[in-house]
Amino acid sequence: MINVLNAREMEDLFSRLRKDYETFGAVEENGEVVFDKISRFSEVSEKKSRYAPKEFLISRNENVLSTPDTTRKAVFGIKSCDLKGFYIMDKQILGKDPFYTAKRNNTLFVNFVCTEQCAGGFCSTFGGPLLEEYQIQVVRDGENYYVLSSDEFSKYLDGFKEADLSRVDEMMSKFKEMSPPLNVEGIENRIKWNSILWKNFASECISCGACNYSCPTCYCFDLYDRDDERLREWDSCILGGFTSTSAGNVRNSLDERLRQRFYHKFVYYKKSRGEYLCTGCNRCVDDCPVEIDIKEVITHDYQSE
Amino acid sequence: MATLTVCPYCGTGCQILIDELDSSARVIGYSRSPVNEGKLCVKGYSGLTYNFSKERLRYPLVKREGKFTRISWEEALNEATTKLRSIVRDYGPDAVAFQSSAKCTNEENYLMQKMARLVGTNNIDHCARSCHSPTALGLIETLGAGAATGSISSLEDTKTFLIIGSNTTEQHPIIGAKVVTEVKKGKKLIVADPRRTQLAELADIHLQFRPGTDVALLNSIMYVIIRDGLQDTSFIDSRTSGFSAFRDEVMNYPPEKMEIITGIPPQMIEKAAHLIGSERPVAILYAMGITQHIHGTENVMDVSNLALLTGNIGKRGSGIFPLRGQNNVQGSSDMGALSEFYPGYVRYDSDKVDFFEKLWNSKLPRTRGLSLSEMFEAAADGKVKAIYLMGENPLITEASVTDVEKGIDSLDLFIVQDIFMTTTAGRAHIVLPATSSLEKEGTFTNTERRIQKVSRVYERPGEAMEDWWILNEMGKRLGIFKGYDSPRDVFEEIRAAVPGYSGATYENIFPLGKQWPINDENPEGTEILHTRSFPIGRARFVPTPYGDPSEVVDEEYNFIMTTGRNYFQWHSGTMSRRTDILDRESPEAYVEINVEDAKKLNIRNSSFVTVRSRHGSIRVKARVTERIMPGVVFVPFHFEEVRVNLLVGNQVDKISRIPEFKVVAVRLIP
Repeated sequence: MINVLNAREMEDLFSRLRKDYETFGAVEENGEVVFDKISRFSEVSEKKSRYAPKEFLISRNENVLSTPDTTRKAVFGIKSCDLKGFYIMDKQILGKDPFYTAKRNNTLFVNFVCTEQCAGGFCSTFGGPLLEEYQIQVVRDGENYYVLSSDEFSKYLDGFKEADLSRVDEMMSKFKEMSPPLNVEGIENRIKWNSILWKNFASECISCGACNYSCPTCYCFDLYDRDDERLREWDSCILGGFTSTSAGNVRNSLDERLRQRFYHKFVYYKKSRGEYLCTGCNRCVDDCPVEIDIKEVITHDYQSE
Repeated sequence: MATLTVCPYCGTGCQILIDELDSSARVIGYSRSPVNEGKLCVKGYSGLTYNFSKERLRYPLVKREGKFTRISWEEALNEATTKLRSIVRDYGPDAVAFQSSAKCTNEENYLMQKMARLVGTNNIDHCARSCHSPTALGLIETLGAGAATGSISSLEDTKTFLIIGSNTTEQHPIIGAKVVTEVKKGKKLIVADPRRTQLAELADIHLQFRPGTDVALLNSIMYVIIRDGLQDTSFIDSRTSGFSAFRDEVMNYPPEKMEIITGIPPQMIEKAAHLIGSERPVAILYAMGITQHIHGTENVMDVSNLALLTGNIGKRGSGIFPLRGQNNVQGSSDMGALSEFYPGYVRYDSDKVDFFEKLWNSKLPRTRGLSLSEMFEAAADGKVKAIYLMGENPLITEASVTDVEKGIDSLDLFIVQDIFMTTTAGRAHIVLPATSSLEKEGTFTNTERRIQKVSRVYERPGEAMEDWWILNEMGKRLGIFKGYDSPRDVFEEIRAAVPGYSGATYENIFPLGKQWPINDENPEGTEILHTRSFPIGRARFVPTPYGDPSEVVDEEYNFIMTTGRNYFQWHSGTMSRRTDILDRESPEAYVEINVEDAKKLNIRNSSFVTVRSRHGSIRVKARVTERIMPGVVFVPFHFEEVRVNLLVGNQVDKISRIPEFKVVAVRLIP
């Protein structure tokens, strides 16, 4: 269903959701857009948040010897690229990871669709910024908020003015015109195991893990014991100790680990789950201290190597 | 709630935003920060979980019959101060020594040095002694200010980087990353290091010289610069003094003659000299590879000579950047937690000490105090009876740790204030539980002189208290502090005591920090020092003759060992070894050995070798690598079970009293 609301009506929608959910949103603090508890729709920042709010579903640290959190939460202002990460992750971990699954089923994301490309972003490459899968999706056009709701959530929109998609479509085609998709099609076949890219990246990479931590589709964790707790903590496949075996990491050198990361994103996941493990958010580039650009992996001319 | 504070690890001083959504906190780099522009290294992202370790100290402890017993704060503070007072009464104030910490805030360092001096002694020192004391002394001598001359962001204007004795991408990763991105844009890079570091691999020129021959290397580069007329004559004429005596000295160092000392062929020296002479501005970054030598201060002054010779001071993109190890080495030194300096680098014997007598309303000591290693020696000799130590772990980190042990065991009173029961704290009579920097308020000053606000993110564990609170309570009970209300209260006094800090307030340094000097003349702080003049008028060239390191190889001890840190661990491991991911990445000690040497000695990767020096020996796993030059081995000092500082002798630099951690003659026994 699609409705069109003004700012005051968005507050009404917010109040309706607040009856059923604890409300969170993207808000500006110290000049940085972060996620925090909110009590009004007007608090929500429409700017791209500083990070993909993965922790709503995968905690930074979590004691797995505990019961999953089933608080019902509604998160306003998550960007489409970040939300899309969860839909991609679902294919791998939904229904398998009890913590993720419990939170996923109890969290409502109200995503904001960008109408202009952010710096460096390339979400149109992966079908963005308007999502095909969503719960409640908002596209703002000046004073008007076009609100798309899935069947499960359309009840919250009851009574608001209905609309059609034509204006939204128009805005989206303009978006795609301004920032056309990269040619990602078939990258899983073009990409080269012995490409010079991996060694080049490795010579610059400082193994900080930012690309993993910032990525809305990375879900790997480390598991360790601390007294009576068994903690899982976000991990980074760039690090040598990641997935260590008795013989150490099977990918002994940094270039192999970097290659694995990109192969996972553009080859293995595509072949096993049917999607690229990337949403075009550009966060790994934004947070990379040495400006390694994942777009180069897509656009690199492997053939002439 | 997202709280903005400063990363507790290195001197880069990255600003971190800790966003607590529910039980788990997200750490992100503050994108508005002029220091790190939103970037962080692995320690920033994954290095903060030590804070929640169950091993945190929660209660004051006293050792009774060899066992630690929990006591109340009241009892602990009374016992500590009563004993301190009686030692001062019986043996005089110089029988007490204080060890402050570059991990603590400016406010806390200020309080500890003030306490020492009001007790009546200049026996106040801290780990800056073992890292950048040569920088403070050397650069004050040549330029008038012992600090980085530019800002991290000014490196964007650099055309050539000279990095000597710094493994920047591992030890100051965000500054290292800045160099990497600049090099990607085509900037030139010269790395002088015995190890083939990541930056050395990216460098246009890698001068893989022998440890301890820095002066010979730098002098030979300057020889070529002068010989080929590449010096900045107008800068030398208008801004410096002492050039001719310096030139006369340097003319003794033709690269052809130096090759036998440094191991670097003359053509490479010429190439480097021509690059430095022609592609300006040049920024010189250095760290422990320069300072941790018995010629540490001379090394620093020679770095300064090179910058002056080529006019690379006082402009964006140029300058000298001593990269500070701990998060607050710059600040703790500024605060005067050093045995020869009152706050603001006022020498112990200067007339300016009168100012502090007035400010603190007390007669003050005018003799030089003991340095870190001297304190332990004096303790062993029975001259120092009590040490009050805050946030350091010298039993792992100091040179010649057997002497440190002897000193500690001779003490009548050893008070240790820390967040964990460190190896050193285990030997204490009284242990005072402190809070981490994520649990307190105050300021740190980073490697580019930026005073930054530290804010409380988490509640303190158990009865642990902030270091400033403990110091304040101790001072009140010693009858020397009238009492402070808060870190802000202390900071207000710092503004009066340290001229460069006078214009800083808790309000105006938030959120982005300000670089000192901040005063009426420079209310916004000072990005680049020495733009028009030096604090001493003209900068001084100081002729620095080359001298051998304290240890040289012979038939028996035929390898040079250098010590240092790696990317994942931090110092004695108090924090990093309690952080799962960091400890996983670097779980055990190792010795790096060159492939060729390993072959000759029949040492295989991961096999155990004994590394023996003239002072001690350790058994440690071999890491066979091409990253280190033949004849040289490297051992990190993080690991308490393999204390490499057992091998390091007690020779120190005569000027700065820093031990020579970087050159130890050793023998390898498979």
